[in-house]
Amino acid sequence: MIRVSDLTVRFGQTTVLHNVSFSVTGGESFALVGESGSGKSTILKALAGQITNWSGALEIANEPLSPGKRARLARKVQMVFQDPYGSLHPRHSLDDTLSEPLIIHGLPDRDARVLAMLDAVGLPRRFRFRLPHQLSGGQRQRVAIARALMLDPPVLLLDEPTSALDVSVQAEILNLLKGLREERQLTFLLVTHDLPVVSFLCDRLAILKSGRIEEEARVDALRAGRFETGYGQELVKRSRDG
Amino acid sequence: MTLLKVDNLRVTFPSDHGPVDVVRGLSLTLGRERLGIVGESGSGKSMTGRAILGLIPPPGSVTADRLEFEGTDLRTLSERRYRELRGARMSMVLQDPKFSLNPVITIGDQIAEALKVHRSLTARQRRVRVLEVLEAVRIRDPKRVARLYPNEISGGMGQRVMIAMMVVLEPALMIADEPTSALDVSVRGQVLDILDDLVRRRGMGLILISHDLNTVARWCDRIIVMYQGRVVEELGTGQLEAAKHPYTRGLLSSVPRIDETRDRLPVLNRSTL
Amino acid sequence: MISRAWILSDNPETRLQSQLGQAWRLMRTLARNGLAMVGLAIVLALLLIAAFAPWLAPYSPVEGVLANRLQPPSAAHWMGTDELGRDILSRVIHGARITLLIVLLVAVIAAPLGLLIGVVAGYFGGWIDRILMGLTDIFLSLPRLILALAFVAALGPGIENAVIAIAITGWPIYARIARAEVLTFRNSEFLDAVRMQDASAFRIIRFHVIPLCLSSTIVRVTLDMAGIILTAAGLGFLGLGAQPPLPEWGAMISRGRAFILDQWWVATMPGFAIIIVSLGFCLLGDGLRDVLDPKGRSRG
Repeated sequence: MIRVSDLTVRFGQTTVLHNVSFSVTGGESFALVGESGSGKSTILKALAGQITNWSGALEIANEPLSPGKRARLARKVQMVFQDPYGSLHPRHSLDDTLSEPLIIHGLPDRDARVLAMLDAVGLPRRFRFRLPHQLSGGQRQRVAIARALMLDPPVLLLDEPTSALDVSVQAEILNLLKGLREERQLTFLLVTHDLPVVSFLCDRLAILKSGRIEEEARVDALRAGRFETGYGQELVKRSRDG
Repeated sequence: MTLLKVDNLRVTFPSDHGPVDVVRGLSLTLGRERLGIVGESGSGKSMTGRAILGLIPPPGSVTADRLEFEGTDLRTLSERRYRELRGARMSMVLQDPKFSLNPVITIGDQIAEALKVHRSLTARQRRVRVLEVLEAVRIRDPKRVARLYPNEISGGMGQRVMIAMMVVLEPALMIADEPTSALDVSVRGQVLDILDDLVRRRGMGLILISHDLNTVARWCDRIIVMYQGRVVEELGTGQLEAAKHPYTRGLLSSVPRIDETRDRLPVLNRSTL
Repeated sequence: MISRAWILSDNPETRLQSQLGQAWRLMRTLARNGLAMVGLAIVLALLLIAAFAPWLAPYSPVEGVLANRLQPPSAAHWMGTDELGRDILSRVIHGARITLLIVLLVAVIAAPLGLLIGVVAGYFGGWIDRILMGLTDIFLSLPRLILALAFVAALGPGIENAVIAIAITGWPIYARIARAEVLTFRNSEFLDAVRMQDASAFRIIRFHVIPLCLSSTIVRVTLDMAGIILTAAGLGFLGLGAQPPLPEWGAMISRGRAFILDQWWVATMPGFAIIIVSLGFCLLGDGLRDVLDPKGRSRG
């Protein structure tokens, strides 16, 4: 469903990603783990079309992406961002935000679809005309998830979707994401520094360090704390110690 | 020895639907120890810290039956006296160093500035103090770092510089509001270590405000758990597992573990709290 | 149905109710600012006076009685009469129409033009930005009144040409402000999100970028109104704006200049009108900035 081969990204003189390759099959949930500066978010940005000066080969849902131009893949892939405060337009109501993709793609039955999506992500229907500042962080993140699902894409890119949330709210959002994945057979690509979240939400993971994949493993290895590389072990230890 | 005594603290903000209490009758006493205040957003934990420092922005209002710091009644303090006290005897470390450091002044000068205002030292003595305090927050090459501008240092180092600015006047009380949540995981432990070290060696009182139960539990002598403006539970170190209040228990169980096998995470049922 | 609780409801049932709630909250914040309310009152008074000028004015603004020329203020002529025996109060009242017309036309031409240029430059960046901002800088570096003079000289004197000249010299400041505003959120995630939905650049600018720049532009236009009135009056004073016998305030001062020492009221009365109206727009603009501009809000 997602194929990344030999992805290399340079910003000026510095190479942020060195020949990164991995693939994610349909319905799988895959995590990219690493510290800030490891390049994990850059992979997501390349797949989302936010950066276009990459080399290598990228493919989402059998559609190859080309470097240098914006792909039009709205119905194949969508993204949920880290910051629930920055990812919603401050002057648009929930209804505006959720209707927008339907208008762009000329889809009918907008009212019914918006209401159905509010139900699906667990937002009360009476919130429909609220503005972002009238919502809590968790509610905003639900809106962001709803927006990503409006066009029914098979792939969701998740950029630290719960790291800005309170723990009790994080649990609600993680449950929601897990439930939606089961219901809709979604493929997840999650970027995070939080290993327990990976343990809960993912099937496989890749550990990144300085723009290279250090290790690829199944989530069982994470749960058992049995990574092959020293760096993997170090991350587990650091996570345990807080 | 008691540093801080707070009785029945209330912080109120007006809203469209009448006044809202964000802190409702909080009481605490603090000696030369590390106290953790834990809660989620909206629990009133940050407002508690700000109320103690006299930093509640208008139109908010603060009332208390008692609000005493080193024997001074803070409720009747003039804004000017409060400012002097904040610089010299109590200080606050904020979440993100990027917004708290002046971008056009070198780090050494920013730390020296506080000394200039509150202490009468010669320029030479000030310089020595600046280097000392930078060393105290474990900056390896203090002479070089003192000449740098805030944009030339990393987030972790920025936060250490912030702490250096706060401790250079050797305050008796330090309030740290989420001092590590803007930092990379790898440097969080270090920043907390430094705070811890300063508390021990200089005999400061520390209030660590955070949303992270586990971190606070590891670093503090005592923990207060806040929910909706009230203290719902008070715990000593190592008693985290013995927490009784359903809110605290709910918080603990809703955090995923590294060996997570639960299909769904338990969610706080707010209606029963 | 329309009650305070309904307007302020946290769960609006329709788009209209939600927008009314927003507007109500803004108005309420504005109403707490005393000076802004004074400004609003002056601007509203100007609107009413302009609308009902023929009924409010006691005499004709263009026909005078020569026998009554240069009368000082009295019960019959509150502001006195000018050199042709015309009632100055009536002329000032009718002048409100001309002032308002100039101000509105300039705002309608210059603000959208500047907003659009600034937003396009800021959103696309690169060479588009460089060309548009180069153009803006050229206009910005020329003194406004002198540029307006040059335009009027080329187009010929008259109120329409004065409006066009002021508008052409007025847009660059709005372009600058809109561009600066766009740069602050150009790379924000809510724009990334809508780009990922394959929205066209036109759609993003029209529905996502411009709404965020509107409030700062409105504030700026209101604050600029005073400057526009003064420029219009300046052109009128120099004989390049409204032509006689139109009762334009600047032109009235210009004619009164000849008698300023012996008949002070001829030039002073329209001068007062300009000062009061300019002040009204400034106060209102300041108040609006406090309410609408998020950067100003932190001061509270």
